[in-house]
Amino acid sequence: MAQKFRTSVATLIAIGIAGCGGAKVTLHNPSIPEPLIDQLPLSVMARYPAVFDNFVHEEKVLGKEKWSIDLGRSNRILFTRLFDSMFTDFEVVEGDVDSKDLTFDALIEPSIDAFEFSVPSQSQTDDFAVWIRYRIKIFDSNGVLIANWPIAAYGKSQSASFGTDEALRRAAVLAMRDAAALIILQMDKATGISKLRHANAPKSESTASPAPEDLTLQTAAEETSLDESGK
Amino acid sequence: MNLANKLMTGRALLLALAGVSISACVTSRVENIRENTTGLSEGEGIVIMAKSYHLGNETEAKFIACVGNSIGRGSSALRVVPNTEFVDALFPWFEPRTAPAETKGLPALMSRPGVAEKIREKGIRYVVWLDGDTDKVAGGGSMSCAAGPGGGGCFGFAWWQNDSNYEADVWDLSGLEDAGTVSADVSGTSFLPAIVIPIPLIARTQNKACNALADQLKLFIVSDEAV
Repeated sequence: MAQKFRTSVATLIAIGIAGCGGAKVTLHNPSIPEPLIDQLPLSVMARYPAVFDNFVHEEKVLGKEKWSIDLGRSNRILFTRLFDSMFTDFEVVEGDVDSKDLTFDALIEPSIDAFEFSVPSQSQTDDFAVWIRYRIKIFDSNGVLIANWPIAAYGKSQSASFGTDEALRRAAVLAMRDAAALIILQMDKATGISKLRHANAPKSESTASPAPEDLTLQTAAEETSLDESGK
Repeated sequence: MNLANKLMTGRALLLALAGVSISACVTSRVENIRENTTGLSEGEGIVIMAKSYHLGNETEAKFIACVGNSIGRGSSALRVVPNTEFVDALFPWFEPRTAPAETKGLPALMSRPGVAEKIREKGIRYVVWLDGDTDKVAGGGSMSCAAGPGGGGCFGFAWWQNDSNYEADVWDLSGLEDAGTVSADVSGTSFLPAIVIPIPLIARTQNKACNALADQLKLFIVSDEAV
C-alpha cells in the first residue's frame, strides 16, 4: 500500500514537472509552394552553410520551461525551392567546391544571423511568434561581393487553434514563408542581382575568393521592411 | 396525474425556465453596409481570409474555420474555397506581409504574372476579410473547491462577460471593388454557480457571432439588392 502511494506521488510530481517544461518541436518540410512569378534570366548558384542541414534552436523561459525547435534541413529546402523558382538556371554548390571552377552570373550565400521565438507565457498572449534574421550575400562571377542584404522575417500562430507544438511549428513555417515573400519582392531592388546577367568575365586571381564582410562594395545593408501592400 | 407527478413536472418546468433565462444572457447585433451590388454565378465561390497580423489583427483561426464551414453548409450554401489552398495557389501574393490592405491594390495584384488566371481557375469571385476577436471584458465572483477522504465539492459563484466583435469586408474580384461590410457584435455573460457540483451556464458569444455573421454574409453575397 505504502509502495503504491509512493509510486502515485512520484508519478504526480513527474507529471507536474513535465507540465512546467516546454517541448521539442521538429520541422522537416517548410511546405513552400511554387511562387507565381516570372523567372529572372540568370545563371545562379547557391552555397549553404553547414547549419542549413541541421539547425536547432533552444529557448529557455527564465525559471520556467525550455523549448527547442529542430528545423533540420528546412532552410536548405526553403532556399533551394525559392531560388529554383526565381532564376532560369539554378544549382546548389556544396561547401568544398571552389567557386573559381564554376561558371555563373551570381553566387548566393544565405545564412542565419539570428533566430528567436516567444511562447505564450512570455508574451502573455495566446500566440507563438518566430523571428528569423537571414543574411543574403551575393557574389559576382569574379567572386566579388556585390550585396550583403539582411532580412527580418516574422511568423505568428495561435496555440488555442493549433495546440502548442503545431502552433510553434506553424509560426516557424510562416516566418520562412515571410522570408521567401520578402526575397521575391525585394531581392532585385535591394541587391541589383539582375544586372549581373551575362557578366561572366574571366576570373582574375586576385578576386576569386569571396570578399571580406567589411568590403565597401556592400549594398542594401539597411533593414528591409514592407508595408502591407507589399510596396 | 397524481400529486407527486405534478410536483415533478412543475419542478422540471421551473428548472428549464431558470436555465433558459440564465443562459439566454446573450445580445447580438448584425449589420451590413453595402457599397456595390453583389451576386454569385454558377461555379463561382468565395474565400474567407483573416486580415493580416501585421495590421494587429487577432482573429482566431477557429473562428475563420467556423465561418467558412457555416457558409458552406445548409440549403443556401455557397462554394467556399479553403483559405490555405487559395493562399498556397497564389503564393506569395496573399501572405500576411504581401496581401493587399485595400481594394486599390487589386489592379496591381491582378496584373502580376499568373494571378488573374489562377483566381479564374479557382473560380473565386469574392474575398471575405475577417477582422476582430473575442475578449473577456468583465468578470467576478469567487468559488472554492475542496476534496477529502469522504469526497469533495465546490461552493461559490463566478461570472464573466465575453464580447465577440467581428467585421467581414467583402471584396469583389470581378469588379476589383469593395462590395461592402458585414459586422456582428455579440455580448454575453456566463455564470458558474456551485453548490457541491459546479453548473456552468456558458454564453457562447463566439459561436453565436460565427453563425450570425455567416448567415448575413450568405444573404449579402447572393442578394441582388441595389446600392
